[in-house]
Amino acid sequence: MKILVCISNVPDTTTKIKFAEGNSSIDPSGIQWVINPWDELSLTRALELKDDASSGVKSVTVAHVGTAGSEPTIRKALAIGADDAIRINSNASDAYYVAAQLSEVIKKEGFDVILCGIESSDFNGSAVGGMISEFLGIPSVSSVSGIKFENGSPVLTREIDGGRESVRVPVPFVAVVQKGIAKEPRIASMRGIMTARTKPVRIYEPSNVENLTEIAGFEKPRPRAACKYIDPENPALLIELLLNEAKVI
Amino acid sequence: MSVLVYTENWEGKFKKLSYELVSYASSVAEILNMKVTALSIGKADEGELKKLGIYGAAKIINVVSQQLTSLDNQAYTKVIADIALKEGSGIIIFSNNMTGKALAPRVSVRLKAGIGSGVSRLPVSLDPFTVYKRAYSGNAFAHVIIKTDIKILTLAQNSFDVVEKPTGAVPESFEIDVEESLIKTTVTDTQKQSGKILLTDADVVVSGGRGMKSPDNWAPLVELAALLNGATACSRPVSDEGWRPHEEHTGQTGKIIAPNLYIAVGISGATQHLAGVSSSKYIAAINTDKDAPIFEAAQYGIVGDAMKVLPKLVDAVKNMRK
Amino acid sequence: MLRPYYTPNDYTLTMLRQIIFALILLITLAVFAYTLNRLIKFFSFTRPAFPIKDPGKRFRLMLRVAFGQTKIFRRPVIGFFHALVFWGFCVILLGSIEMVIDGLAGTERILHVLGPVYNFIVASGDIFAILVTISIIIFLSRRLFMHIKRFEGIEMKRVSHIDANVALSLILLLMISLLTMNTGYVGYTTLSGSESYGVYPVSRLLARFCTTMLPEDLRLMYNISWWTHILLIFVFANYLPYSKHFHVFMSVPNVFLSRLDPLGKLTNMDNITREVRLMLDPNTAVATSSADIPAERFGVKDAEDVTWKNYFDSLSCTECGRCTSVCPANITGKKLSPRKVMMDLRARMKEKGPLMIRNGKDFSDNRSLLRDFISEEELWACTTCNACAKECPVNINHPSLIVDMRRYLVLEEASAPGELKSVFNNIENNGAPWQYSAEDRLNWTKDLGFEVPVFSELPEGREMPEYLFWVGCAGAFDDRYKKVAKAFATILNRLDVSYAILGREETCTGDPARRAGNEMLYQMQALQVIEILKKYNIKKIITTCPHCFNIFKNEYPDLGGNYEVINYLQIISRNIDEGHLKINRQSLQDVRITFHDPCYLGRANEIYSEPRAIAGCVTDNYVEMKRNKSFALCCGAGGAQMFKEAEKGDREVFIERTGEALATGAQLIATACPFCMTMITDGLKYKNKEEEIKNLDIAELVVQAME
Repeated sequence: MKILVCISNVPDTTTKIKFAEGNSSIDPSGIQWVINPWDELSLTRALELKDDASSGVKSVTVAHVGTAGSEPTIRKALAIGADDAIRINSNASDAYYVAAQLSEVIKKEGFDVILCGIESSDFNGSAVGGMISEFLGIPSVSSVSGIKFENGSPVLTREIDGGRESVRVPVPFVAVVQKGIAKEPRIASMRGIMTARTKPVRIYEPSNVENLTEIAGFEKPRPRAACKYIDPENPALLIELLLNEAKVI
Repeated sequence: MSVLVYTENWEGKFKKLSYELVSYASSVAEILNMKVTALSIGKADEGELKKLGIYGAAKIINVVSQQLTSLDNQAYTKVIADIALKEGSGIIIFSNNMTGKALAPRVSVRLKAGIGSGVSRLPVSLDPFTVYKRAYSGNAFAHVIIKTDIKILTLAQNSFDVVEKPTGAVPESFEIDVEESLIKTTVTDTQKQSGKILLTDADVVVSGGRGMKSPDNWAPLVELAALLNGATACSRPVSDEGWRPHEEHTGQTGKIIAPNLYIAVGISGATQHLAGVSSSKYIAAINTDKDAPIFEAAQYGIVGDAMKVLPKLVDAVKNMRK
Repeated sequence: MLRPYYTPNDYTLTMLRQIIFALILLITLAVFAYTLNRLIKFFSFTRPAFPIKDPGKRFRLMLRVAFGQTKIFRRPVIGFFHALVFWGFCVILLGSIEMVIDGLAGTERILHVLGPVYNFIVASGDIFAILVTISIIIFLSRRLFMHIKRFEGIEMKRVSHIDANVALSLILLLMISLLTMNTGYVGYTTLSGSESYGVYPVSRLLARFCTTMLPEDLRLMYNISWWTHILLIFVFANYLPYSKHFHVFMSVPNVFLSRLDPLGKLTNMDNITREVRLMLDPNTAVATSSADIPAERFGVKDAEDVTWKNYFDSLSCTECGRCTSVCPANITGKKLSPRKVMMDLRARMKEKGPLMIRNGKDFSDNRSLLRDFISEEELWACTTCNACAKECPVNINHPSLIVDMRRYLVLEEASAPGELKSVFNNIENNGAPWQYSAEDRLNWTKDLGFEVPVFSELPEGREMPEYLFWVGCAGAFDDRYKKVAKAFATILNRLDVSYAILGREETCTGDPARRAGNEMLYQMQALQVIEILKKYNIKKIITTCPHCFNIFKNEYPDLGGNYEVINYLQIISRNIDEGHLKINRQSLQDVRITFHDPCYLGRANEIYSEPRAIAGCVTDNYVEMKRNKSFALCCGAGGAQMFKEAEKGDREVFIERTGEALATGAQLIATACPFCMTMITDGLKYKNKEEEIKNLDIAELVVQAME
């Protein structure tokens, strides 16, 4: 069983987002790039499955659409335990483009399970995983909070409103994965870091695909109004404000 | 050309978010001089379907299939895409909830339709067609141009008001057959929380943090939530300690919610927690520490002891109801 | 007429005696040689430790700790009796040497030729014999009839208790036989009028009870005692290496071979440094062959991974349990026991050593020191407070072994408690143990009323400031500790000190990563910090956090970062002494203050007096906690515990320590560390005392009291 984990490169959560060029793109200076947290959890789960001999998972590959600047993030994924990596040498323009590129490569190499994080912390798009499954014409299961294998057969846990359900699906499939898929992220062992330098990274040139959307620009959120303080001796005033001013109760 | 809005039903019934979606679709349709078609898969009550008309759906379609017993992304996608093509839909609208996130991307590829996901406003421009969406986990907003003829929008929860625009539309239900080979996922087991208002559905959420000092102190908080017809939530340390059930944990690694009112009691307001609730319309905070970061995110604040303030709030709400 | 001592018959007897003695000695030495050879082979499996330098310093240390018994006296009463036994042994050892010479040469009391020196030694031996006897009786009674907590523990199995009692009994017999020997000697030489060598103050008194005995019987008593005594010594000598009492041989050399570094210092892993430099150099990002990867295991998993000094420590361990009795984790019911760590190492080597001798060093019996002996839970409970190392009478260093095992877990297995993995990720991604942006590191400088100079913002051409004020992650991001950073900046400003801060260029020193075993992340951070400091040619660093202080002072030099590192208390204290900083004694109205010693300032770096001197300036009502200075109980936050859930125990360390502080009746608990402050404040909140009892940092006290 071969698992592919699609990873994207995002600014670390504490980065203060600044824009360049008249707010049309993000200012890359001072940004610490990391693996998208949801993708990191997928990778962790994939590696857990590989460590468990009964799962039948033989290899874990990571795939990424990005330029050479993403190398450190790919190496980190390899250091954590992925066996090899695929990089499609192009900027990630939009979800459709990224999904199309990844799908081409997946068709070439063939994988049984494709894991994608439900969103990336930069674009918050929630699209790539679903798109890949439609490109490949294979089933997808979304909001997945658990994956395991029973007798070689995949069993997924899918979150639904107010609960969860167990879903069975044949390989190959795409699982769009969310929080709960793995308890905590892995760290790279020393040997992992050292061997990451020697693991193969296959580089593909992008196929000719157009993007369906484009970012015209960014805007900073309006600063929130300052907090209105209510005397703790008279909390009833808060209720009055919520009723008459905010009108939320 | 029409605006197709996918209105998911839960055991035949719709929720507030369904009406938000239809209201939104209706406003979008108005701008584009189109009509709204509401589509629901899985048997819905006639009365429920009619309600969609109240919020602006000119056409209401309910598709039922013997083969579709549960959400199968691939099969549902085909059904929705087929109907979109049949209806000549130029815009397809989903909610940005779990189902919307599961289906919109597949429909996008199937119809080669660009997606604007998590939009919270009407399109800011029609030519080029530009939408406004949340990016960088709420630290910025992006203006996204959708270049394709067919466009898909997923609407962020609780970002658009419900507006009545009755059309008097009569629902159409029909049965279809879906190819068995297309349905590859099977649901084998379902576990559901009983009764309580779902955290993600609630308009008002009252949430407790470490400042509550002990699980024994929760009674006034629960009472306040009940009086306000809201749900209860908690911060991560509280759910880690086992004071409250895990389902109540809101925050970056818990549930992300966007109620009308989020009351944070004894919560300091660490970034991870705020990430889960910053989209709330209003935040009110009660904390003994005047320097707590929560007050920077809140519109209303009380610097005081929760144990003293909560009972007074409960009384005030009771008085208000009279 | 007196019978001459030697007769022709006696001559053959003497020859026989010499031969028998020589044979027994030979057997003893042979057995001992076998044991020694085995131990040497075990040592050959271990790794190198630190180089043994500074013989003069080591000699003085040995005189103080081993011969002076200074560590033993940390428990003054029982320590005194142990000191008696030790000194007694030293003196009696000289007597035993004489007995061996006598036995081989057929002489009697041959060393009497040394004259008055001999008399002194022999008299001391005689006195010590009775003193040791009394001490041993006290020790045996304690073990047999009293319930002494530190003699119990999961690692103290029945065999340990039997071992202890057997050894004590042997010593008792040795002393008794010595006394009967001397008494017999005094007795028969007096009665028979033969020449008597040596002075025996105690035995002379005892001999008075034997006046009814015949000289021949006294001589017999003497002979039997002589043989008993020397045979017991031979038996004892060969029993020791297999007993906890091996410390009789090992303690003095173990002290001589002590680690001379401050307790707060951890050893650098040079094999990691090589790897980190490769990673930071962009030219080596290209794939190199797998052959380059060092095969030697990182950290300690099993007996062959420890250093020879670790193993020497384990052989010197006498299972006294003083270390465990001061361990904050053990006191609060966690599984960790420093004594157990040392005993487990000794036991594991005893188990695996013979297997390795027979099958080669790489042999695996599918067991290991880690997990089969020492569990992860024990390792993760350690706060690296160094109380155990400080307490150990033979200078065993337990924390370095515990951290070395953590290093194995993190570096080889990527295994650590989940919260610590998040801390590692945070340090790597945003340069602090918590998730905060480096952009926010200057927030605390706002609204101060004066400007805090930042290195990167200094105007061109201006003279470089003398000091770097290293604020640390807590000072920059912890809401409570920002106030302390402000307080100290206020003091620096008042004193017109030439300083600047790094502001957004500051990043974590790597201390939490290092204590948690992530040597790689620590070195990456350290090398980056050293580069930044090099950029501004920084020579002197002042810091408010003891962990930053310790790491800059003791550990950065190993990576090429050499600076003069000053703790903020030292600057404050010096300026008060020199009159630059005037303190108004009345401003705090003699509030009762107690001071909680931070482990990384106190035991780790021996700084105890400055905070007390400062506290003494602001109040006349200073009180010490029961456990203070080098005895201070840890707050519980060190060793990366601050960032994780406590291991299972029956209570929390911080509650224990806060309780101790409150017991002094203090209205103000002073601290000098961000972690201690968090813990003590939490302790006060837990006990609902945060309104009436204040927890302030020394800097805040000074600001309140300064004119």
